[in-house]
Parts: sequence; structure tokens; C-alpha cells
Amino acid sequence: MKNRKFMLLFILGLVAVSIVIILTKPTKLGLDLIGGSRLVLEAQKPANVSKITDEMMNSLQFAIENRVNKLGVAETLVQRVGEDRLLVEIPNISDPQKAKEYLGETAELEFKEQKMGFNGEPTWVSTGLSGKDLSKATVGTDSVGHWTVLLQFNDKGSKKFADLTARLVGKPMAIFFNGELQSAPVIQEPILGGSAQISGGQEGFTIEEVRKNVDLLNAGALPIPAKIIEENSVGPTLGLDSIEKSKIAGMVGLALVMLFMLIYYRVPGIIANIALLIYGLIIFAIFKVVPITLTLAGIAGFILSIGMAVDANILIFERTKEELKAGRTLFTAINAGFDRAFTSIFDSNMTTIITCMILYLLGTSIVKGFALTLAIGVMVSMFTAITVTKNFMHLLFGTGQLKNPGWFGLKKEQIKKMFEVADTDPRKAKLGVLD
Amino acid sequence: MSNPFFRDKNIIDVVKYKWLWITISLLLIVPGIIAMIYSTVINHSPMKLGIDFTGGTMLQYGFKKELTSSDVANIRKSLESAGIENPVIQLEQTNNEMKVKIEATKANIGASEDTKIIEKASQAKKSNINSIVSIRTRFLDSEKSNNEIAKINQALENQFGNYELLQTSSIGPTLGNELFKNALFALLLSFIAIVGYLTFRFKADYAMFALIALLHDALFVCGVFAILGLLFNVEIDSLFITAILTVIGFSVHDTIVVFDRIRENSRFLAKKMSFNDIVNASVNQTLARSINTSLTALITLLALYFLGGSTTKNFVFAMILGIAIGTYSSIFNASTFLAMWRSKDIRKRKPATA
Repeated sequence: MKNRKFMLLFILGLVAVSIVIILTKPTKLGLDLIGGSRLVLEAQKPANVSKITDEMMNSLQFAIENRVNKLGVAETLVQRVGEDRLLVEIPNISDPQKAKEYLGETAELEFKEQKMGFNGEPTWVSTGLSGKDLSKATVGTDSVGHWTVLLQFNDKGSKKFADLTARLVGKPMAIFFNGELQSAPVIQEPILGGSAQISGGQEGFTIEEVRKNVDLLNAGALPIPAKIIEENSVGPTLGLDSIEKSKIAGMVGLALVMLFMLIYYRVPGIIANIALLIYGLIIFAIFKVVPITLTLAGIAGFILSIGMAVDANILIFERTKEELKAGRTLFTAINAGFDRAFTSIFDSNMTTIITCMILYLLGTSIVKGFALTLAIGVMVSMFTAITVTKNFMHLLFGTGQLKNPGWFGLKKEQIKKMFEVADTDPRKAKLGVLD
Repeated sequence: MSNPFFRDKNIIDVVKYKWLWITISLLLIVPGIIAMIYSTVINHSPMKLGIDFTGGTMLQYGFKKELTSSDVANIRKSLESAGIENPVIQLEQTNNEMKVKIEATKANIGASEDTKIIEKASQAKKSNINSIVSIRTRFLDSEKSNNEIAKINQALENQFGNYELLQTSSIGPTLGNELFKNALFALLLSFIAIVGYLTFRFKADYAMFALIALLHDALFVCGVFAILGLLFNVEIDSLFITAILTVIGFSVHDTIVVFDRIRENSRFLAKKMSFNDIVNASVNQTLARSINTSLTALITLLALYFLGGSTTKNFVFAMILGIAIGTYSSIFNASTFLAMWRSKDIRKRKPATA
């Protein structure tokens, strides 16, 4: 009896803690609910290296993080996936094209000089001076008021630039930006200050173009090229629509299940419903504490786990009813119901957890979300449907014979009839076996 | 005959009608298998694969304007002139379903989330989308100069004015292939894990028939989706594989409950009753539970299907089918097969022991 009171206190404490957590912590919602873009980049092996190393991936991740941060969006995520992939998540970006412009483009800056090709035509060849030699880029204007990108070289770059301009006096030097020729001024005299500016050729740059290029140059060139191999984006309207609909679906589903339990199982049904509400509170608190990012598939997993939580109670109550029909006392019948149903509940939940584990290990992120919420749901339901319900049942019914069969949705005749038949020995009765 | 269950007139003699259950199962499964074979011949895959598995691009736009099928023909024409061959274009009228209640959303997200989302909600409310156009194509290049997605966006804006990009999804062809292999691997691995667990907890023949029951259920769901694929272009995606795996979990769940009862009853009643009678008694004892459990799961799934988000509709539908068939197979197939197998087993053993 003391034990039972302790358990009751524990359950009440758990409920209180859950409520506090739910009220104070925010829910983490997935990109499919708030809207946003999710991209998977795959590093492309450059021709001159034999293998993509960890260092290359780390510096790629660093460069991509830099660029993503330039978008000025909170809670972005850049994560290494597998050998050569990066997962990028950008919430609240309604236009995926914009996000991709920042990620996919290389902002490659190169200075080239002219040499004679084999066919006698002049061609541009690399001088070895590139974006890697920059210390920073800023927005500037030229003498006629056009927007320009101002370049400041680092020490090494300044020296290279001075040497190069000294060598090319009287000759053109071209500035290539992202593989496109921007301008090719003829060098008048060596430039020693370590700075230069790019104007946008004949058409000139717009202020937006200049800003974007400055950002990209400052973020640094990608150390190895990367390609977008997967891209998902959800607009804010669809996301909100999904939240709203899932919420209604969850409420209606829960209400209908509770109604069913009440009508079919009567008083134990009410206890199961209370256990189900406690289950919901605990689950939500866990989601918020861990925190687990709620996605649409994750919510589906959660709603499905409500169905499975109820299953354990159905198993137990069916079994308890059988025991009562066989004429056992309330206390024995309830205990037998729980004990005998336990192996079924345990074995069946184990198989669900096994499939969830496999899904979590092998699935894509949508599938992972589903598997995680379902697995947590199944585990918590083992506690609420068994421990919580059993405790409440004993508290409410106590011991002795069942006086009101209607509480269990049974009829008096049913019990009498079975009672006459049952002549089991005490050992079997303890196990709840019917002869 | 001291067992009370044989005095009850409501008892179903499941073992007696075994051929009826087998016939029903065949009627449920064979059309799907035919559809899968037919689909393999014409499409090279038993079900219509979505871009998750084939690679490709899916774009979904919402328009204020109510579009008609002639507009769809125009979209097709402009896509084809942009070099995008054979796009699959679907038009859906929303009847203002996409209207979002700001108050409700505010309450749902909670006070801790800031105003940004609420601003979005008011934008969404203003947008009042009437038509949704989904375009599915090969994997479109969206990087740098050859931005095909931007071209499509531009073409749609020119033709129908402002749109809202509801969702886009682009998966490279090599990745699609990889996802497909991963999905099949996950499926195979969970079969092995479940059979292993059941052999450990029960016996090898129990595990075998649980496996047959879950294959039966998975085949039925796949078959229905193969038929839907042929008739309505319904595609399967990663979520479908998840649904199948969940159905498998549920199917085994149901089967275990019946098997657990058979195991328990045969421990105490083996001397008094034949195995067939034990199976019958066990199935009947667990019948109410099997049906009630499936009912509660189906209630939540039906709520999700009719009221939930559109993106998970096919996923939920697959689970509804799977749970319904899973209940059927655990009551009528798994246990009757076990009874048939055990009775044959005894017949075979008799001469040896005699």
C-alpha cells in the first residue's frame, strides 16, 4: 500500500514537471512546418586530388557555414552527412533560389594575362593571383560614380600583385569573375598599394550585384567544388496549413479514441483515458526537452503511437474481463490481466522498436523523424499504459468481488455462468488460466 | 469439453474454414500481383516510383487565379519549348482550403515563438490560393547560368501573374538510386530482425508463419499502390517505405498477440485439446482485442487522412490498408497456417513414434 502511494506521488510529480516544461520551453518545428529550404551538397572530387579528405570536407563545411550565415537567418544548420555530403537547412527562406545562389556559386576571382596560343590567337592564362590572396572585399565607387568591388590583398597577395603589375606594364591584365571576363585594363604603372577594384565592364554593376559579390568574396571560395544533389523547400503557407491540419487531426483522433474507450470499457476506459492524457503530456515534454524537431512525419508517428498506447490497455482490459467472467475477485483479476497481457505487450512493442531502429539508422531525415517519435511513443506508452493504469485501477477498485459488473461493461449473468464452469485449482487461478 | 469457449455459440471455428480464408487472401492479393507484373513490363518497376527513387524535380505552385485544363496545356507547351520534355502536370482546385486561421496558429506555436511566423500567417491568409499546380520533371539544373527552375518560374509568372511557391523538391539521379537501394535494404533487414526475434521468443515455425502473414500484408498494400499507380499515376516515395515498415510492425504486433495466447494455452491445455481447438480458442479469446486495437489505430489514421496535411495523405492511406489487412491476416491466416502445419507435422511424426 505504501508502495502504491509512492507511485502515485511519482506519477503526479512527473505530470507536474511535464506541464512546467510544456509551458516554458518552445516547440522545435521542422522545415516542413515553418517553411524553409533543405539542401544536400555533394563535394566533387577535383581532378588533381586522388581522394576527398576529412580536412577538405571540414574546410568546405566551414566555407558553406560562412555563406549560410551571410543570409542572416536564425537557426540554420550545416551538417556533415556520410563521406562527402553536407546537409544544409535554412528555415524561413521562402525563395529557395536565393539560398542556392549563395551556396552554389563559387565567387571565383582570377587575374589573367594574355599569351599567344598555338593557333596564333591571343588567349587568357592564369597568373597565379586569385581570390585566395584577398584579405577583404568592400563596396566602392569609381571616378564616374559606378558601383565597384574594392579588393584589398593580403601581404602575400600584395607582393604578387605588385610583381605582376610591374611585369605587365603596357600590357592588358584581365579580371575574371566566376569565369567571366569583367575588365581587362592595360597596366600603366606597377600598383604597389595592395588594392584593386573591379568595375562591371561596359554595363556596370548594380548595387545588389556588388553586395552579393562582396559577400561571396569575403565568405571565401569553396575549397573544393560542391554540387546540390537534393533540394527540398516548403513555402510558409503550406507549412502553416500542415500545422493547423495536423493539430485538428490529432485532437479529433484523440477524442474519438477516448470516446471509444469510454463506451466499450466503461470505468477502466476512463482510467485508460487519464493514462492517455498523462502519456500525451510526458511525450510533449520529452519532445521539448531533448529537443526533437517536429516534422509532419514525426507528428504522424506520434498520432500513430496514441493508437498503440491504447492497444496495451485494450489487451489488459480484455484479459481482466475474462478473469472476472471466470469469477475471480477484482484484485486477482486486475493483477492477472496485467501479468498475462504483459508478454504480448512486450513482444509486440519490441518488434515495433526494432523496425523503428532500422528506419532510424537507414532512413532519410523524414523517415528518421517518424521512427524517432514512434519509438519514444511506444516506450513511454509501456510506462503509462501499464504502471499508471495499474496503479489507478487498484486505487479505485480495491479488493473483493466485483459488485457492479456494469463498470466493466459486463452483465451479471455473464459472470455467474462462467463462475459455475470454473473449477480451477489455485495454482492455475494465480496464472489466470481458464480450464 | 470443459472449456467454456466451446459452449459459446458465437465462437468462430477459424481452422475449419481455412480454405475460405485462403481464397479471400488470394482474391485480395492476386489482382495486385498482376498489376505489379503488368507495371514491371510497361514501366520497368512494379510500382510507379516517385522522384525520391528515380531522381527528378517536383515544383508546386499556388495561384490566386483559378486555372483550367487549357492553362495546363499552355504550361506544358512553354515547358517543352524550354527543353523540358514530358513534364507531368497536375492541377488541383483548393476551394479556399488553404486559408489559415491566424489565431489558431498563434495559440499552437505558443507565446515563445516570435512574430515572424504570425506575419507569415497573415501573408498566407491574404494569398487565398485557389489553384495548385504540381509539375514533375527530370532532374532540373538549377545552378548558375542554366537555371531551368528559374525559367519555369518566369514562364508561369508571365502567363498567370503572381504565384506562391508551395514546395519544391529536387533529387539527383544517383541519389535517387541510392535512396531506393537503402529503402530495400531497410525492408530486408527488418524482415530478418523480426524473424530472428520471434524465433528467439517463440519457435521457428511461429516465426515463419508470422513472416508469411506480414509478407501477405505488405504484398496487398504494394498491390493496391501498383493498381493506383497504373490508374491514377500514384507514386511511391520514402514515406511509402516507412508506411510498409510500420504495417509490418503492426502486422507482427497483431500476430504476436494471437501466438502468445496459443503458446500460453498449449502449455496448459495440450493434453486436453487438439492443437486445432487450441488455435480456435486462442483466436476467439483475442478476437475482441484484435478488432478493438485495429479500430483505435484506424480511428486515428482516418482522422489523419481526412483532416491531416496533404503531403502525408498517401502515407496514411497505405497504413490504413495495411492495418486493416494486418488484422485480417493475424486472425484468419497466421494461426490457421500454424494449425495446418502442426497437424501435418503430427501426421508425419506418428509412424516414426509408433
